[in-house]
Formats: sequence, structure tokens, C-alpha cells
Amino acid sequence: MNGLQAGVWYAIAAEHDLPKDHVYRTMLGGHELAAWRSTDGGVHVWEDRCPHRGVRFSLGEVVGDELRCQYHAWRFGKTGACTFIPAQPDLKVPRTIHAAVWPVALSAGLVWSGIEPIGAPPALPPGAVLRAIPIARPAASVAHALVKEPLAGLALVLQPLDETATIVRGIALDDDLVRADHALLALRRRLEQAA
Amino acid sequence: MLDPARAHETMLLGVPLVVTINADGTIAVQRVDHAALHQDERYGLVWVCLGTPTRGILPIPEADEPDRPIVVVGSVGVRASGPRVIENFLDLGHLGYVHARYLGDDPHTRVLPYTVEPLPEGGIIATQCKMFQPQASPAATEGFMVDYIYKVERPLATCLYKANPVQRDRFDIIFLIVQPVTEETSIAHPLLLCLPDGTTPAALRAFQQTIFMQDKPILENQVPKRLPLADGAELPIAADKSSVAYRRWLSAIGLTWGVIRADEKARAA
Repeated sequence: MNGLQAGVWYAIAAEHDLPKDHVYRTMLGGHELAAWRSTDGGVHVWEDRCPHRGVRFSLGEVVGDELRCQYHAWRFGKTGACTFIPAQPDLKVPRTIHAAVWPVALSAGLVWSGIEPIGAPPALPPGAVLRAIPIARPAASVAHALVKEPLAGLALVLQPLDETATIVRGIALDDDLVRADHALLALRRRLEQAA
Repeated sequence: MLDPARAHETMLLGVPLVVTINADGTIAVQRVDHAALHQDERYGLVWVCLGTPTRGILPIPEADEPDRPIVVVGSVGVRASGPRVIENFLDLGHLGYVHARYLGDDPHTRVLPYTVEPLPEGGIIATQCKMFQPQASPAATEGFMVDYIYKVERPLATCLYKANPVQRDRFDIIFLIVQPVTEETSIAHPLLLCLPDGTTPAALRAFQQTIFMQDKPILENQVPKRLPLADGAELPIAADKSSVAYRRWLSAIGLTWGVIRADEKARAA
């Protein structure tokens, strides 16, 4: 579904997308995700939805090692378990109140997740991490274009957002991010205009 | 606010409508497909029924009290389902955060036990609600514990009563009438029926608009957009009693618009 395969790691953010206290909002195969970093540097990828009333976690705030929902300020720890409910401060929070936690791996300056991913994320060569380039085309079309006309000096991976859009991420082997940007923006223009 | 110079386009339950006001102040609502509809005016709002009304417009007895002006706050579009908008109005737990420094404040965020009962004519009533409010109304000069009663008498109409600070035996009343535009979009029409305390209608409107603008981003970021009615679809606690009762009542009366029914598989969020 939505071009998302089980067992595969997908890059869903760059590590530089996750400065302290920020909640990064993205999508993978139609699933809305929220990624954030705790004080120990660990990165957490959750379904972007508080289990209480469905408000997107990405509206919320990182408070130390917890993510705080913007609606009722329920706090969720690194494991995804709810730790504190201000409306009922004396309540021992039931263990059933839990964020939906996605697998996460850090590699090559990228944050990886997926549905039951197997093994380690794909190894990428050293270089500078690109900024995310969204393209309003399905992942299969972008992949096809990149096979037909590979972009020299770039190691690229694709994040299928939904049926219609894709983010290109990856590494510039020569560290030349400006050249990489131009190449990817040209690819985007080509694909979106052809559509 | 209707502008005589142009036709006003809106939508009700997915049906496009055109509203015009003539020079003499007569308001006419028409379906774009010219099918029949029922139209009325009450409490400063224009009301439309697409079918044949089985009962009258929601009665508001206090609207007849001569010393109680009705202030129409204005219409606010919100990309959320009607039931989500009503449920948020009933919610006590968010006051200290979403409306911090107005209707609540950290650390006074505890929701004290309150009572929820069915209304004999249908709907629910929540009584004995209490909240510490730093700025309960434009006229409030200091924070105090405010007593509330909430009522939902129609699926998309709700109101709250709070004791008037001067006339202790009477209440100020705030209504929220929600126009279901599509299943996932709404227009909120708040009404104030407050006893005059020197606040101008403009200041009352500005205050309520500030409050609603704080709710809007929350409402527009709830997933799924339709209110899920199955027990366990979302995770309520004791403080959410009125939300639970509201959802169960919507289930019991068989509402389908703007909700995910308990027997329906939740659409992928």
C-alpha cells in the first residue's frame, strides 16, 4: 500500500531536522509521523497522534525527555508510555495509555523507520547530508527516473509520503550541497512538469 | 454578517446554499439546485432545514429575558467535524493549557469530579463543574473558582451557564451552535446571553474570538477528523466524563454525520 513495503527501512528525516526541543512532522506511506529528540540525543519516531483525543503530537512540545501534547498537556516518555495527566495529577496512569511507537535507527546522518524493518538501514557512502526535497510524484515514478538517469555524485533514498508525493533524501559524496540541490530541483521540475 | 451588496455562499450538510439580504432586510436562503428548504431567523442567526423539520429551533427561554441582550459573536470556519467542535466546548481539561491565563492556568489544571446526566428530552447535562479561571470574562479583574453547568440538547448545539459575578442567582450563558458544512468542516456560531456588566458587545466579541482562535488549531489537528464513537477508539479518563456521555448519546440517537460510528471500521487515519 502507498508504495510502502514491510521489512524495509526508510529515511524519514535527517538528523539535522531534529534540533533540540523541536517536533518534526512527516509522513511515510500515508502514516503521519512525529520525530523528536530527547536530552540524551536519542531520536523517537511516533505516530503523530495523541491516543487521548487524536491531536497531532507535532503540535506539542518537548519537555526534557518527554513529549507534551498541546491539548491537555499529557506527557509521554521515551518508551511512548504516558507518564503524567495534569487533569488528574494523582492518577497512576494506566499502561494502556501509550503513544504508537515506530522503529527507529540512526545512520549516515539520517533517521530511519518503517514497518517491522529487518536488519540495519542501507549503508550510504560518507558525505554531506542533503536537505529534504519533496516531489509531487509517486515514489515509483521518482525511482524510475533515477534509474534511467542517475545523478552523479549523489547517494539517494526515497521516502514515499503517500500515493502522490515523495521526499528525496541522501548524501552528496563531494560535500557540494549547492550542486546537489540544483540537480534535485531540476529533477523535480522535470518530473512535476511531465505529470 | 450579511452584506446586501453580494450573495453570500455557504454550505449545509454538503448542500451549497446562497443567502441574500434585500434592501428591506429580508433574508432569503436558496439551494443552488433550487430544491425546497425551510428557513427561519432566531437569536440573530439564520436557520435552515434541508428536509421537513420534525421539531422547532432549539428553545432558549433566557433569550426572552428583557435585560439580557444577545450578542452574535460572528461565524468562524473550522476544518473539523461538528461533533469534534462540540466536544471541545465541553472539555474542562484543556482550559489551563489551550486557554492559559484566560479560562484556566497551570498549575490549577486538576479537573474536580463533576456530574453528568441525561436530559429528559434527550442530550446531556454536566453539573458541579469547577475551574480556577484567571480571566473568566473581559470584566473579571482577578482569578477565581468558576462554577459551570454544560448542556447539550441537540447534537450540534451546546451551551454553558456560569454564575453572574453580580447577580449571584442568575447565570451568564454562552451558546455554541455548529453549522455542519461537510463531514469534516464546520462553521461555529457562538452566541452570548450575558447580563450586562459594562462590557461593550465589541469587547465581548473580541474576547470570545480570542478564545475560539485558541481552540481552532487544536481542532484542525485532530485525527481522524470525524469523531470516533466506538468505546476505546480514543482513551478517556474520569475527567472526560462529559465527552464519553456525549459520544454515547450520539451513538444512541444514530447520528452518522461527522462521526465514525461504533460499528464502522475506523478509516485509516
